[in-house]
Amino acid sequence: MAKSIIVIDDEEVVCKMTKMVLSKEGYDVETFTDSKKALERIKEKKFDLVITDLKMEDIDGMEILRRVNHLYPGTKVIMITAYATLDTAIEALRERVFDFFPKPIKIEELKKSVKEALSD
Amino acid sequence: MNRRKLSIRQKINVAIFIEATLIAAISVFIFLTFKTVLSKLRFIEEFDDINISFLEMRKAEKNYFLYHDPDALTEAYHKGSIAYRTLKRSQEKLTSVLGKDTYNSLIQTLDKYLATIQNIKKPAASPEFASYLRDLGHNLTQLSTHLIKSEHRKINEIIHQSTVMLILSILGIFFSQLFRWHYFSTLLAKKLAKMESLTHTVAKGQFHEVAVQESEPEDEIGLVINAIAKMAQELEKREEQLLQAKKLASLGVLISGVAHELGNPLNNISMLAEGYLSYFDSLSDEEKKQFMKDIQIQTERIRKIVRNLLDFARQKKPEFKVCNPKEIVEKSISLVENQLRVSKIRLHKTFAPKLPSIYVDENQIQQVLINLFTNAIHAMSGGGDLFVDVYSPELKDKVVIRVKDTGSGIKPEILPHIFDPFFTTKGTKGTGLGLSVSYGIIKQHNGKISVETEVGKGTTFTIELPAYQENKEGANG
Ligand SMILES: Nc1ncnc2c1ncn2[C@@H]1O[C@H](COP(=O)(O)OP(=O)(O)OP(=O)(O)O)[C@@H](O)[C@H]1O
Ligand SMILES: [Mg+2]
Repeated sequence: MAKSIIVIDDEEVVCKMTKMVLSKEGYDVETFTDSKKALERIKEKKFDLVITDLKMEDIDGMEILRRVNHLYPGTKVIMITAYATLDTAIEALRERVFDFFPKPIKIEELKKSVKEALSD
Repeated sequence: MNRRKLSIRQKINVAIFIEATLIAAISVFIFLTFKTVLSKLRFIEEFDDINISFLEMRKAEKNYFLYHDPDALTEAYHKGSIAYRTLKRSQEKLTSVLGKDTYNSLIQTLDKYLATIQNIKKPAASPEFASYLRDLGHNLTQLSTHLIKSEHRKINEIIHQSTVMLILSILGIFFSQLFRWHYFSTLLAKKLAKMESLTHTVAKGQFHEVAVQESEPEDEIGLVINAIAKMAQELEKREEQLLQAKKLASLGVLISGVAHELGNPLNNISMLAEGYLSYFDSLSDEEKKQFMKDIQIQTERIRKIVRNLLDFARQKKPEFKVCNPKEIVEKSISLVENQLRVSKIRLHKTFAPKLPSIYVDENQIQQVLINLFTNAIHAMSGGGDLFVDVYSPELKDKVVIRVKDTGSGIKPEILPHIFDPFFTTKGTKGTGLGLSVSYGIIKQHNGKISVETEVGKGTTFTIELPAYQENKEGANG
């Protein structure tokens, strides 16, 4: 069965592009520009990988990370951010983030990172 | 130059001095009245002696005519001579009181009287002398009694007049004191009230109003009021410096904001371009077109950010001109009218009659208004009412433009941030520069911008701009 990925980013283009790229790689991808709705979805369904933007309205990436770690301790999270301060980076690593992606996102790198995350 | 104004202490001193002078004048008047009354009494006393001599003289004269006693005639002569001597002795004093004519006629009549007695004493004197003597004697006593009576009358008059004068001056002093008390207490009260209102204004942080207020006359309280004004000037300067410091601090926010704001669309373009290249072969024409359209949208976003950023950073000195506030507001409204219609928002505008002119950069004020209108439109996504009121408070020293919407309102926790650069709740649709740019513009116009809001009810932004004052060149500079 195809691995499932949820992508949360308030930038529509990011959602659209990751969905396109990762679907072509054979993953089952759902995208959300609204982090609240995304969290609802996460509660319903256990995804194999969560890709989330750090800075969002309502619920930010750190909150998503914490919730996922709480609900599904094994699930990996990739954090995307337009700019990261050292503080948020350290905090994210402490919360066991799988990878840290600064914008602009390189599609090839993303593909590689996703593959790595879902390899085992 | 305006002449130096008297201080309150000086005014009080002047008032006291005037009163003291008044009292001194009254004292002098009383003293002089006493002196005249006294000298009149002396005169009466003296003249009484003369009068008595006359009466005795006449008594002796009558005795002579009754009993034909020659001794009586000598007695009459003797008394007449005493009166004559007294008259001569006191000539100076008597002329000063009676006047030369009366005195002269008195002394001449007496002279004739004495001479007539001598004539009667001569043997074989004509009997006409007797009646002549009687007439003269009668005249003399009549004259002297008349004089004494008239002097008495004069004394009474003087006493009466000075009593009236005294009562009047006591009333005068009383009222002048009453007036002084009233004047100084109202003066003090007025000045203290002004001081109070000024300190309140300062306490409210409206330094500018206090700083530019006309300077007071330099009396004690005036000095304090002026000192308050000066303090307000200082505070205003400090505030300005603080604002500069804040601006500098917000530069940091600005830079990281720019990074983030530009980061997103740049990332999008980068991803779109990379995806376009990687999947070029497998993309349909329609998909390829969509890629390009998306890229266009993202560049448009960047363009908007850059433009707003330029507005924000330009710090261009505004080009001030005397403008009609109504015209500016109408022009700005016309630019958003279409948007209002599309969003199903009813516009209600009111303009007070006789609005003063304002000295502003028209384009910048329009920019502010459009920012406020746009925000209001965004806040009323389900339609609503937009109220635009332009008026000038009583003093006509400023023009107030009020923009009121019936939209979502602003949550208390974000209210403190709405004027911060890049603060937005509109995600990718807003740059968060609208209000911070507006704030800067209004500040540069020496105006004020404030906000009142209630979640679910709506928001009111109020702009105050100083009215243009013709006599004060560059009053707004
Ligand atoms: N009339 C209003 N009603 C409700 N909220 C408002 C109103 N005006 C401003 N705000 C709030 O203040 C924030 C900042 O406003 P500002 O105009 O500075 O930026 P923006 O409108 O978000 O973006 P931009 O104006 O740059 O497109 C808004 O995002 C919004 O949350
Ligand atoms: Mg705005």
